[in-house]
Amino acid sequence: MKRWFKQAKFEKHQSGWLFIGLVASFFLFCGLTQSFENDKPTPYTLRYPANFGARYTIPADNPTTKEGVYLGRLLFYEKKLSAGNSISCESCHLQKLAFTDGKALSAGADGSLTTRSSMSLANLLWVRNFFWDGRSPNLEQQAAFPLTNVHEMGQPLEESVAKLRQTALYPPLFKAAFGSDIVTSDHILKALAQFERTLISADSKYDRYLAGIYQPTAQEIRGMELFQNAPNPQKQIRGANCEHCHGGVKTFKELFHNNGLDSIFNDNGRENFTNQPEDKGRFRVPTLRNIMLTAPYMHDGRFQHIEQVLDHYNEHIRESETLSSFLKDVSNEINGKKLMLTQNEKTDIISFLSMLTDSTFITNPEFSNPHLTLKSQ
Amino acid sequence: MSPFKFHPLTFVWVFILSLSLSVCGFAQNTASVAITGEVATPLNLTLQDLSTFKQVSQKVKERDGKEHEFKGVALIELLEKAGVTTGSKLRGENLAKYVLIKAADGYEVIYALAEIDPEFTSQVIILATEKDGQPIPSGEGPFRIITPNDKKPARWIREVRSIKIAFAKD
Repeated sequence: MKRWFKQAKFEKHQSGWLFIGLVASFFLFCGLTQSFENDKPTPYTLRYPANFGARYTIPADNPTTKEGVYLGRLLFYEKKLSAGNSISCESCHLQKLAFTDGKALSAGADGSLTTRSSMSLANLLWVRNFFWDGRSPNLEQQAAFPLTNVHEMGQPLEESVAKLRQTALYPPLFKAAFGSDIVTSDHILKALAQFERTLISADSKYDRYLAGIYQPTAQEIRGMELFQNAPNPQKQIRGANCEHCHGGVKTFKELFHNNGLDSIFNDNGRENFTNQPEDKGRFRVPTLRNIMLTAPYMHDGRFQHIEQVLDHYNEHIRESETLSSFLKDVSNEINGKKLMLTQNEKTDIISFLSMLTDSTFITNPEFSNPHLTLKSQ
Repeated sequence: MSPFKFHPLTFVWVFILSLSLSVCGFAQNTASVAITGEVATPLNLTLQDLSTFKQVSQKVKERDGKEHEFKGVALIELLEKAGVTTGSKLRGENLAKYVLIKAADGYEVIYALAEIDPEFTSQVIILATEKDGQPIPSGEGPFRIITPNDKKPARWIREVRSIKIAFAKD
């Protein structure tokens, strides 16, 4: 070093430039390593009201990051993930319908129909058993079903990987999210799961009421009370007992029940997955968030209108071996067999259900199709 | 020629038939309770297994206001059988263990280990298999937890499928 400095002093003109050059390249090098460190994806903060609670698990090998969520959002709206590039996740999960499609059953890439109705994708962060039969324990595993099912997107994951590898768009995005620009099926599923975890619906009138910033109408309050109360005719408490299964701020419990739709089942529901006879005809208790946007209702979309759902629980419960005991002999009249709500009471409940519509959720630009903005740029 | 001569394929058919019968048997008789987690020996107990334990009865008032007699096995006995840290071992960090009980419909409840242990409490929580002398009906049974001192029966979990012992890790 000393010699070099001596030389630098002697050959002033030439080595001065050399010295500056070396110093400059040193700073450039530091800058480069700095930017390599910044290549690590940025953690994404999931925001939700405290009353939603933190009972959820994010897999340790798939932390939620801004880059991962953005990639997942692009993939959610990516038709290349389907056979014939015909449909994307969005085809059955439209944001404006709280990520349902308004259909009883949905047509897949080959035009054939799904066996069950498309579910709303709201507040999946808290769901522990996915699908109507609860067969998937996390979003990473869940995503593989609709991607590959012949009645849905109908394309093997390897083909999706091959298609994405050929694009200019995706490899750098996979690198930003997962550190490698080699597209893999594992990373496709992880990115989709990350995006889906961000789909939080927590800004409805009901949330604003719970936060003390919205005063419900008299009808909404009547509906809310009926929704929450179990009927007790001896004590003259009228109720629809909805909360027994749809209770709590998230309006679902992690339960599977036979809600009396049929006596003879076309679809054995959860039994197909557990092979336990007591699960025959049992289906997931879904969220009621945005329920006024997610018609038609039930696992097979048999009810077009919310009024039919209320009529079902009030008057048309069908007996069977596995019928939920919470729907048996529950009545607003002493010794009654049916719920016996009045027409006005049903209307009041629907008024409360309308409070669960979250217009922020269905218009949030962060959940919308990012390809549209990409094209316009 | 012997009259008992069989076609060689007959044996194959008999084998397939007996195999399918045994499979049917399994499908009919799968009701069981799994005890897992922080245990020395994981267990999977059927009604028949439970009948080999000492039977205990509890008379309790149900939500309907009527008194019913539930019969089954003390939960503590099952935990001991599985080698859970009960009795003299229920101290120190083991006091931070909980028992997570899950039902067929997804319902879940929690007890602290100390709530079940006779050195801490005089109530006997049972895993019931009979109600008023009959097997507990479907939708409620075949296995149900009865906790006599709970005034509200919300933890009297029906259709018990699994019992998991775990450490609270927060």
